Amino acid sequence: MRTIDDFSRPIEYLTPLGENIGEIFRGWVEKEVIPFRREFDEDWKDHSLILPPFKKLLGEYGIQRMLFPEDLGGWGLGHSDFLSVAAFRMFEEVARADSGMAVAFGVVFWPLLFIACEPHVNRRLCEEFAPMFCETTEPVFSALAMTEPQGGADIENVERLGGSTIQTTAVQDGDEWVINGHKLWPTNTGGVADLLAVVCTTDPASNDRNNIAIIFVPTDIPGVSQGDAYEKAGMAADKNGDIWFENVRVPLWYRALGPGGDSIYFGEVMSLGHMGTIAFTVGVLMNIYEKLLEFVNTKMFKGRPIKENDAVAGVLADFAATIEASRIIGYQCARMCDRPDLYGPRWTPEVVAKARAHRYFVADRGLEAIGKVMNLMEAYGADRDWDVEKHWRDIKMCQLWMGGKQLCQMEVARWFYECETL
Amino acid sequence: MSDLDLFLYPKNRLGEADLDLASSLQGLVEKEVMDKRLELKEDYKELLAPMMKRLFVDIGLQKMLWPENLGGDEHNQPEAAYTIASAIEQIARADTGLAFLAAHSLALQASLALEGNLNQELCDSIAPLFCEGDKPVIVSFILPTYSEEEGPEWRGKYLQVEAAGGADGYVLNGKGIRPSCCGVDAALFGALCSVKGEEEPAFILVPGDASGIKRGEEFKKTGLAASRNADVVFAEVKVPAVNLAFKGDEGIRRLLSWYYLGLSAAGVGSLLACYEIIKEWGDNRVIKGRGQIFKENPLTAALMAQIAQDIAVDRMLTYNLAGMLAEPEAYGDAGSEAVFVSSTMIVHHIYTTAEWIIHRVMELMASAGYAKEWQLERYWRDVKTVQCYLGASEIAKFDIARWFYQCQTL
Repeated sequence: MRTIDDFSRPIEYLTPLGENIGEIFRGWVEKEVIPFRREFDEDWKDHSLILPPFKKLLGEYGIQRMLFPEDLGGWGLGHSDFLSVAAFRMFEEVARADSGMAVAFGVVFWPLLFIACEPHVNRRLCEEFAPMFCETTEPVFSALAMTEPQGGADIENVERLGGSTIQTTAVQDGDEWVINGHKLWPTNTGGVADLLAVVCTTDPASNDRNNIAIIFVPTDIPGVSQGDAYEKAGMAADKNGDIWFENVRVPLWYRALGPGGDSIYFGEVMSLGHMGTIAFTVGVLMNIYEKLLEFVNTKMFKGRPIKENDAVAGVLADFAATIEASRIIGYQCARMCDRPDLYGPRWTPEVVAKARAHRYFVADRGLEAIGKVMNLMEAYGADRDWDVEKHWRDIKMCQLWMGGKQLCQMEVARWFYECETL
Repeated sequence: MSDLDLFLYPKNRLGEADLDLASSLQGLVEKEVMDKRLELKEDYKELLAPMMKRLFVDIGLQKMLWPENLGGDEHNQPEAAYTIASAIEQIARADTGLAFLAAHSLALQASLALEGNLNQELCDSIAPLFCEGDKPVIVSFILPTYSEEEGPEWRGKYLQVEAAGGADGYVLNGKGIRPSCCGVDAALFGALCSVKGEEEPAFILVPGDASGIKRGEEFKKTGLAASRNADVVFAEVKVPAVNLAFKGDEGIRRLLSWYYLGLSAAGVGSLLACYEIIKEWGDNRVIKGRGQIFKENPLTAALMAQIAQDIAVDRMLTYNLAGMLAEPEAYGDAGSEAVFVSSTMIVHHIYTTAEWIIHRVMELMASAGYAKEWQLERYWRDVKTVQCYLGASEIAKFDIARWFYQCQTL
């Protein structure tokens, strides 16, 4: 009997640590997530079902320590040259069970990339925040606060707009930043996040990238308030809400990498975000393959399992081909992010554009393929008990985050065709 | 000119009464559904069930085609196809699920009470259920599906109910039956059954309160909150012989042709609502930090144009299908293979394009596309759910291929 492990991966990219972690994650999802996931949609507000497995994974297994240096209690993955490939495997395994959990999980590490990854480690901030993540068995969540009410994808569009639309301000007052503004939609908000990285401007309306500031803000300090989680079509494990900053004061050294550095390494966050999105999509596709395999083996059409009908087999083949190609693209994207010596730094417009291209290609093909599978399954395709429809709802959101489709297209066109005015 | 009138359709084919009904429905659903759904979301008891009563009982959709002497409106000429299309389109604009239920009711009425196909004895027996009460009568179909066990087939799929009997009535049995809608609430099931000892399947009506029907718990599904569905079991369910609506392919095709008209209109109505949502977004959203209005950007404008183009074509196709059903002398009876195949092609085309369209609208709206606040996501889920219940398009293609290429073994 074929399994998801029969789909190809570039074996030469894999590492023993990544594979061992992958096995641990598979065991965790089988025991802690998959048996409960059909109730997650109704748990979107309370997270009474969603939080316990996170406690085990992040807190008790200690995965939340992963990026921090070893001497600070972490696992030192921020210093490795296999972070992305290992992360791809982890994300894929979590998304196989629930892509909302995979997003929430991935975003725990997303803001920490600014301070914990070579070659731009901010040792002082690592020392400041490592205990929060490494000295507890409770889950700790981070969030990257980018989107604002007026801007939509403009914030993510650093290359073109240079931060000129950012309205969340950081003003220096002595040895502190004073932050004011309003953010929408970050993953792990709605009351979840303990630590935020906030995209601010130090000079409103300026398009000088040196004025883009990424500033860390613990959520329990005065002036930070979080709204309730939004109600969405799915992805219940990923809470999103409003965050308001009203004269929030943090030390000046809470800025991630300083003028220039913050905007440069924002590209790294984008590249790895796209890599993660591919992994989430591939994880979902793999689980749908498992469900589909069961369906087409047991359900019959004209006296035979439906997989034996040539026309149906064509749809099944297309679905398998989508997984096969997407997984290889995803691992390639991860490898590109891991090896600047081969592909160039992962924060450059080139790598960001290529990662965007990989991501939107996989997301588009994946969704199209899932839609066809649901249709093939007829009424059972829309039935929660078969899990496919939940994945379909959830993964649509992954397709749309980080600026949506059109921004992806513009960045890809800008780099590959050297467009000047897009 | 209303924004909806931008999508041209053969309005001249609609009578004054059709236009009045569509206009009334438009006003009603705007006031009673669209204005309330931000607060009530998809609440069955507070929003959807009261609307079923308004539509089916107060407006009278459930008695539209039945004979006048039985309490119906006897709007049972083939031209009713236009009435059905324009009415369902307006309902779907507010809620695809309500339109889905209306498509069931009106297809049943059309297949039993239409001039030329009137089944008087069955109408005498069934019409009072629709015309005399003050409760909405929810109709559900039990159609062939995939199976894990071999059994009698219709076009390769398995009949979910087995009937035995004849002149003295029928006894129906079936387990794990998945109805097309409303397993929890259906007042009348129309089941396509195999009949013991007979070659042809039969369509038999089963009142929802018949002894021997067991309803499972409502299961969760992607959309269509108005249809609380559950698997059902028929255990020795007895119905009188008069409940046999028809036997053989022609009747089934006729029912499905009318059903597909309703579903097509439901798809188009949902798309018109999506158009209104992206129109508002395109008018008001500013992008690229340079004060550019969303709809003025060439990339987004081109995509919005494609969306409008596909909706316009889908609407034309739906009214074209209504035209085929309205003029049997020109196109053949709704039960003919030609009309059935045309209706199959149109409904599958509409739901394939509808899925494409709504995905693109969501992509244009990014996170607002899946936030419940913007309402778009409900059409996305609902339309996809209808498409699933409509059946696999790959399987439907066999009917199309058989007709156009005279395939012998598909």
